[in-house]
Amino acid sequence: QFERVGADVTMKCGSMDWDAAVTWTVNGTDIDESHLNGSYLILKNVGLSQSGQYSCYEGSSWHLKYQTYLRVGTPPKEPVLMCRSNNYPKGFYCSWHLPTPTYIPNTFNISVIHGTKDMVCEKDAVPKNRCHIRYLQLFSTVKYKVTLTVTNALGKNFTTLTFDEFAIVKPDPPESVVAKPVPNNPRRLEVSWQNPSSWPDPESFPLKFFLRYRPLILDQWQHVELSDGTSHTITDAYAGKEYIIQVAAKDNDIGTWSDWSVAVHATPWTEEPKHLTTEAQITETTSASTSSFMAPPTTKICDKGAMVGSGAVAVCWTAGLVVAAYSVLFI
Amino acid sequence: MAAADSPSAALRRRDLCSRGIRLAGKMRADVVDLLDTYVEQQGLDASASVAAVEGVPLAAVERWDEQTGTQRLLENLAAYRAFRALLAQMLEEQREQLGEADAGLGRALAAVLLQVSAFAYHLEELLRLESRGIPGEEGDGPPPPPRLGLFEQKLRGLGVLRELAQWAVRSARDLRQLAKPSPATGTAPGLVESP
Repeated sequence: QFERVGADVTMKCGSMDWDAAVTWTVNGTDIDESHLNGSYLILKNVGLSQSGQYSCYEGSSWHLKYQTYLRVGTPPKEPVLMCRSNNYPKGFYCSWHLPTPTYIPNTFNISVIHGTKDMVCEKDAVPKNRCHIRYLQLFSTVKYKVTLTVTNALGKNFTTLTFDEFAIVKPDPPESVVAKPVPNNPRRLEVSWQNPSSWPDPESFPLKFFLRYRPLILDQWQHVELSDGTSHTITDAYAGKEYIIQVAAKDNDIGTWSDWSVAVHATPWTEEPKHLTTEAQITETTSASTSSFMAPPTTKICDKGAMVGSGAVAVCWTAGLVVAAYSVLFI
Repeated sequence: MAAADSPSAALRRRDLCSRGIRLAGKMRADVVDLLDTYVEQQGLDASASVAAVEGVPLAAVERWDEQTGTQRLLENLAAYRAFRALLAQMLEEQREQLGEADAGLGRALAAVLLQVSAFAYHLEELLRLESRGIPGEEGDGPPPPPRLGLFEQKLRGLGVLRELAQWAVRSARDLRQLAKPSPATGTAPGLVESP
């Protein structure tokens, strides 16, 4: 028994008279007499939580006189329908869903018309809310009309989509996107990818690509459109910065861009920093170089102009004052 | 058929196909722009469905992937010859209706007509390369339809431009098929046929 949310429901105890003594239960639990009008069960403004197995028993004998499974739900709202060709020119698929659940079973019926011709949309086993159609004709200006009807015990609704063959072509994103640094090139990144495997004939129906990239620390994307090939070298990367890179695809002539591919990260090649502990460096820096003993640039605390002394013992004014102050404290 | 198989012929075919693909791409872009202008200038609804008009070659085709190379070339040639005549008629009608009032639309129509003529010539070159006889233009179907009323002319024009835009896409695809080397012989598929 299906009822709408908010409805008032009256259940009769089978053929029992109105004044018969009965007991009602829901899911095995007795229902309070305040819900009874004689032997009738009255449920006002039913909610989803009142779904369940309702049973009515004769008072003294406890014989089961009536039973029903109440399912509280809603009639379907207008369904959401989408059609797309990610495997052009083989065919297209349509998929659908309800914007809000009905809480009761629904059946979906789809019809596809091309001009005056009815076409069969073969339902996929998985997912269940999807069907696919093979193109019988290509390059037609005649539009396709797809109507989806959803029905349940409480009502019916439908939606219609009308489109032409080219408009729904949208490939899947490119696959296997790889980004690598280029040795000895601190501003380059080599990016490569593959055509989506669902695109059946890239030779006759070539794809073009859109690449976007940015360093993680910035919000602004750089874009490059590529009319052929499945690789590209970025030549203006910021040295040493990690990049995020994505690629999208589109048929060369028709349809819309795919979603962006999975993002990949890469950092351009950087020169290996020189370490203090290597022997070669110790023997090399005997006299002139003070780099081993100077603070790195990011931690610089004074200007070169403020230096006093020379060579390995050069000390700037600020540091000198600090050292002097501490020395006085400990005398 | 020996000429069609020679390496120089294969190179020439590939060259003609790539240029044809570029021509078709440019033609399509210009036809799409022309469609926007045409719809606006003629006061039409861009989304209006137009019934198939007699004499306008339909781009729609079944079993497109099974066509031979020669079929593709012959169907394309017949179509573009028909469009050449249809566009010439549209240009004449447009000049009669609007005179100099809409020179922009006239120029755009003339430019597309030129491209259609060039593409038809390109297809003839490809057919010559395959040592195929070029069909005479008399055999290209029924004569142009009788003169229509003004509104019917506008709708026919819409139908012509829409189908031409579809053909431009189809032609690029057809030429890519033609440009594919056959795995066994190295020649384009479907062009080497038994006599």
